Amino acid sequence: MLRRVIGIAHNTFREAIRDKVFLTLIVFAILVMGSARVVQPLTLGEGSKVMKDIGLAAITFFSVLIAVLVGGRLVYKEVEKRTVFIILAKPVRRWEFILGKYLGLMTVLVASLGVMTAGFYLIMFITGTPASAYLLWALLMTCFELAIVTATAVLFSTFVTPVASAVFTFAIYVVGHLTRDLRLLAAMSPSPVVKFVSQLLYYVLPNLSNFNIRGEVVHGVVLNPQTLVLAAGYAVLYTATLLLISTFVFGRKDF
Amino acid sequence: MSDLTDAVISTFRLSKTYRSGLSMRRVEALVDVSLSVQRGEIFGFLGPNGAGKTSLIKILMGLCRPTSGTVEVFGRHARDARVKSRIGFLPESPYFYEYLTAEEFLRLTARLSGLSDRETGDRVRNLLRTVRMEKAAKSQMRGFSRGMLQRIGIAQALVNDPELVVLDEPMGGLDPVGRKEVRDIIAGLRERGKTVFFSTHILSDVEMICDRVGIVIAGELTKVGELSEILSGEVQSIDVTVSGLRGKVRKALEHVGQQSIRSGDSLLVTVRGEREVDKVMAIARDGDGRIEAIVPRRKTLEDYFMAHVQDAGEK
Repeated sequence: MLRRVIGIAHNTFREAIRDKVFLTLIVFAILVMGSARVVQPLTLGEGSKVMKDIGLAAITFFSVLIAVLVGGRLVYKEVEKRTVFIILAKPVRRWEFILGKYLGLMTVLVASLGVMTAGFYLIMFITGTPASAYLLWALLMTCFELAIVTATAVLFSTFVTPVASAVFTFAIYVVGHLTRDLRLLAAMSPSPVVKFVSQLLYYVLPNLSNFNIRGEVVHGVVLNPQTLVLAAGYAVLYTATLLLISTFVFGRKDF
Repeated sequence: MSDLTDAVISTFRLSKTYRSGLSMRRVEALVDVSLSVQRGEIFGFLGPNGAGKTSLIKILMGLCRPTSGTVEVFGRHARDARVKSRIGFLPESPYFYEYLTAEEFLRLTARLSGLSDRETGDRVRNLLRTVRMEKAAKSQMRGFSRGMLQRIGIAQALVNDPELVVLDEPMGGLDPVGRKEVRDIIAGLRERGKTVFFSTHILSDVEMICDRVGIVIAGELTKVGELSEILSGEVQSIDVTVSGLRGKVRKALEHVGQQSIRSGDSLLVTVRGEREVDKVMAIARDGDGRIEAIVPRRKTLEDYFMAHVQDAGEK
């Protein structure tokens, strides 16, 4: 079982790293991080913090972009190009296929995150910005956030086109950062319909703001380990649920 | 007929209905198909385009579910992973991961089929040799021709040394040399006791290698039988080629035959039986003609298939 899942994951990884779009995004992310130096004169002595903030935000944004763009066509492309016929004709269970594709893309994302992080630290070194390993906590949380975003993209890619999948996933990513506002809306709205819908969305959509600790690490705020563990557990559970739904949808599919 | 208990594939009243378009129009791809394929036989599955061949193959491979009826492969459910480890499959017009080299792709399929790394190396090398693709082993498949992709497709279907090989249009896109090679591969599989189930449009290939055939028309399995039963071997007509003929004699011969074709000073006359052959020979002799050839024509699978499709259409 593990061998088959790893086989599919390895193939997904190989596909991504041979894709020029993916490599272009990484290069572009590093360029954006480097360009943070341009705004340093405007930062009133907070240059290093702004640099770190822009760097971490760029890494997160481009990682999410890769997850949305690559994840959105992950399963759909296999079905459209009928490569899935070859794979599913082998002793590969459908859930193994979904898990393999997911893990393959997650490996790609973690690897690209690693490359971008290395680029980020190199830029900080070159520009003389004091770099600390403490920033890595924010990137670890980004990994958990990516786990959910990728699982969302994979779910959509089992039944809608890549463009629709990218749009839906990105919409969920944006709303996922506003779920606290949804709760506020539910509390403040006099309309029972708005209350119900806001509360429903609050509980159903992922609460991605849990994973944003960039401000804290940049400003050196001491992190609460319990919050981190809870966020990690939440990511694992939410991702597992999405993958289960993906497997269910994909398992019922006729080719 | 072989022993029915030794069935590798068995379907019972298998039907598949698709819904098509906005109006959800019903399209019956398969209707009550009951079929049994025995161990060690080469079974040719024939039918016009859109007859339901690929639908049946997809159900056999667990790629889609029947609307009703049952299907068993090696006595188990078609989607059972244990069954799939005993099957090799080539889909119609296969498309592979174009960013992989041929060797990488075969290694991937070997891994998914459960082969160990040690087994994989030798198996992949042998298969590349079998399908004559050793030279392209390290090339990315994005540059491959249709024929090359078909060869790689056949190689991946054989990567797990399967007991049952299911091939959907395996001769598609191949030149005559390639077709001959595929026929040889299939014949080799029979010698090794494997079961082969394949669909094709190329009837001469079926005639050369199949033990039994099934004909599907508009989703219904209208005929299943051994090739020797279907093609009884009886002479359908006789072609007589006569040369050196004068005008009057040629006209007389043209009247004797069911049909005649002129080529230079030769005339090919197609007649029904021996009596007409004698008549042609007598006329040719009297007119100083020479008999060049007398060739009996037996019923081909194509003749049978065309007549069968026509009959089914009329019904």
